[in-house]
Amino acid sequence: MEAIKFEKVYFSYENDEETEKQDGLFDEGSYALDGVDFTLEEGEFVAVLGHNGSGKSTLARLCNGLLTPNDGKITVFGEDTQDSKKLFDIRKQVGIVFQNPDNQTVASIVEDDIAFGPENIGVPRKEIGERIEFALNAVGMTEFRHATPARLSGGQKQRIAIAGVLALKPRVMILDEATAMLDPRGRKEVMDVVLRLNREEKITVLLITHFPEEALLADRAVVMHKGKIVLQGKPEEILTNEQGLESYSLALPRPVKVCRGLAAGGLPVADGVDEESIADNLCAALKSRFEISQTEKENEPIAVLQEKDGEIGKIVCENLSYVYNAKSPFATFALNGVDLQIEAGDFFGIIGHTGSGKSTFVQHLNALLKVPTAEKKYKEKKPKKGAPILPKTILKVNGFDLTDKKTDFRALRSKVGMVFQYPEHQLFAESVFEDVAFGLKNFKKDVADEELKAAVKEAVETVGLDYEEIKKRSPFELSGGQRRRVAIAGVIVTKPEILVLDEPAAGLDPLGKAEIMSLLHKIHADWCKTVVIVSHDMDEIAENCNRAAIFSEGKIVAVDTPKALFEKVDSLSALGLDVPFCARLTEKLKTRNVLLDNDYTVDGFVRAALSYAADVKTKGAGMPLTWNTEGGGNNA
Amino acid sequence: MRDVSFGQYYPAKSFVHRLDPRLKILFLIVYIVAVFMSKNFYALGACAGVFVLIAAFSRVPFKSLLRSVKAVLFILIFMAILNLFFYRDGTPLYKPLFGWEFTVITKEALYYTIFLAARLFLLVLGSSILTLTTTPVSLADGIESLLSPLKLIRFPVHELALIMSIALRFIPILTDETGRIMNAQKARGADFETGGLIKRIKAIIPILIPLLISAFRRADELGDAMDARCYSGSKVRTKYKKLTFSWRDLIAAFIGLSLLAGVILLKIFTAAII
Repeated sequence: MEAIKFEKVYFSYENDEETEKQDGLFDEGSYALDGVDFTLEEGEFVAVLGHNGSGKSTLARLCNGLLTPNDGKITVFGEDTQDSKKLFDIRKQVGIVFQNPDNQTVASIVEDDIAFGPENIGVPRKEIGERIEFALNAVGMTEFRHATPARLSGGQKQRIAIAGVLALKPRVMILDEATAMLDPRGRKEVMDVVLRLNREEKITVLLITHFPEEALLADRAVVMHKGKIVLQGKPEEILTNEQGLESYSLALPRPVKVCRGLAAGGLPVADGVDEESIADNLCAALKSRFEISQTEKENEPIAVLQEKDGEIGKIVCENLSYVYNAKSPFATFALNGVDLQIEAGDFFGIIGHTGSGKSTFVQHLNALLKVPTAEKKYKEKKPKKGAPILPKTILKVNGFDLTDKKTDFRALRSKVGMVFQYPEHQLFAESVFEDVAFGLKNFKKDVADEELKAAVKEAVETVGLDYEEIKKRSPFELSGGQRRRVAIAGVIVTKPEILVLDEPAAGLDPLGKAEIMSLLHKIHADWCKTVVIVSHDMDEIAENCNRAAIFSEGKIVAVDTPKALFEKVDSLSALGLDVPFCARLTEKLKTRNVLLDNDYTVDGFVRAALSYAADVKTKGAGMPLTWNTEGGGNNA
Repeated sequence: MRDVSFGQYYPAKSFVHRLDPRLKILFLIVYIVAVFMSKNFYALGACAGVFVLIAAFSRVPFKSLLRSVKAVLFILIFMAILNLFFYRDGTPLYKPLFGWEFTVITKEALYYTIFLAARLFLLVLGSSILTLTTTPVSLADGIESLLSPLKLIRFPVHELALIMSIALRFIPILTDETGRIMNAQKARGADFETGGLIKRIKAIIPILIPLLISAFRRADELGDAMDARCYSGSKVRTKYKKLTFSWRDLIAAFIGLSLLAGVILLKIFTAAII
């Protein structure tokens, strides 16, 4: 049976006075949905892909009558969404989970929030209790029934949001980028729940996402572009259609890139999307001892300007601890004796779960959080007799001593730039120019007009925006990606020597992510000595950083090159952290006795695999020819 | 704010914590009336006795109670000084210093001041017992239930309760957000700590505007989420949680009423200071 059916649906925010533009990227006057025909069969699991502003969210909101079409017809189990009498019947059938986990709960206690939906439709009290139990059970959150949402993790909050929708007993569940703001652990939690609901509870799922791994779980994938559905088919087919993806501003997923790279180098490996099948195919290809042409070029390793001497761009931290809510029953160690040295020239990665202490650490770097001895009120106390002598904290950033309250913290902040998560939320000024200039004006009170203009122009152009075109516009009328660039320009306008970014690419589509990272490399190469990024995305770390540190429970568990860190797949998994795709693939190959020494980037992996194949060809007998496509066996 | 529940709530599972919030609110009103009706130290002593009893059963540490007094300490001292020197009647305690008449404190003034201070102390302590033992959520529930008779005159009790509930829910979120925006602007050299009043007010703009925009964005999204969950505010709405009276509430109600009766009796049979 058809759960949801779109027939020639047109929708434009322009004609609808009550709503505002959701995405803001489409051209003025154009349709957010431009003649969409689409059917969602009952029981199906469909993923919707598309770059930011392609009309995905509009599609979601049309499905349960939050928006109604300008033209065309949408039916939900046969009922027209424009029929206002049927609206609540439709909304009971079709639940939506939105992106931001904080903006979907109405009550301060989990069970009260889940009760909200059933209360609205007049379910008797006793049955509400049963529904709460059912919904919490379905998302695996039964023990959190009396908890406060504010204290849960992002993944848990989203599961509560799903439970809130489930309590209405819907037949269709729409997830509008519901995992975009979560860390990998939270994403997995949510996706596990969604999959189970689809398989076991037979709930129809429409999943809007940027993550190819998630789309692969679906039965069918749909690609949207400029308000139209442009591609449809099996997720594996869609995600390997390079031409198709590229023309709709989407990127090939990493696994497919690996396969294409291998094939281009002469190892014919069929496109695959999971490490298991790629490992099998690669082994098969190696086995046929294919002759490869030695055309590969030596890729230079990520440039590192090692300036061991001098303190500019250098971060030295020893014995840094930080306690939240000290002297209260809730006291928690956010940092517990952290030692870390970041050299000038590093493109440094910081990895760890939400709550591992990485954000607390990063905020120390420009004294947003201060070491106790740097507080204004601090007075040196004479050590008590018999009291344990605590190890001394050292924190030196860019030559500034952050343990000394006499340090000029403003000067420090102009040299150590900090870009927070979702920096676009800090924009406030009337024009882009004013906003970008804000920082420079603060740090340099008597800055000359000419100098200011030149600096702002340079910053705006550095982030890849057209200065003349944009300087007078309000930051709030820009698209999400542009806003983020403006926010970054507002930090780099002082030309900091150390730039710290917390999740700079979070929430962007894959192409937007790549653009931000290449922007950072440009800044790093041109004038910024040291870049530190905090990221959940291990592929991002492997591809961009020369060194990285792993935080866990307020401590640093490892500092090394990404290559060395990601070699230990097991210990990372034990910490509940992801590893880059190529590290997983390398691990799989190891069980097949193919040892590939690589840096876990797509390019690095392909290079290693090709030279391995070349070695097999030339040295032949010297190589361990014991491939076993079953994995772990002895002879082939 | 990260891990601490906001407000003063002290988490525990005491007799007082488990009382019906409606009863606690009514009890507080009775208590306040009793304190105000007390005209001498005997009556005030009866109120203090009831307070000590409740405080003991609430298992709230003495320190937390004192903290609430700290907040009004300044007003208390200010008021006491005014009283001591402006209450002129009665027998002086000592001769005027340096021949200045206004330096004299009378015996009555001293009594009166101590009495007023004790009264204020009891009021503040009593109210803080309520906020220390009741979560903001159940306070809101209690207020909603107590106001529900107003539905008869078409007062939007349910909407008011929902607004309270959502406000409570978003306080920690917006506090966190304020912290984040402040940090972001500080990192861009904004200075909130120095300068005169006008400079400080100006410095708030870069926080206020993003905060407002974010609040509106959140409100928008929350509205959509509520719509999607069939919210219409209509009469078909049921309520999952119902407040119920238990034996504890009966005991507490009895104590409250005896306090009121006691104070009234003392008022009739003993002399008043004021």
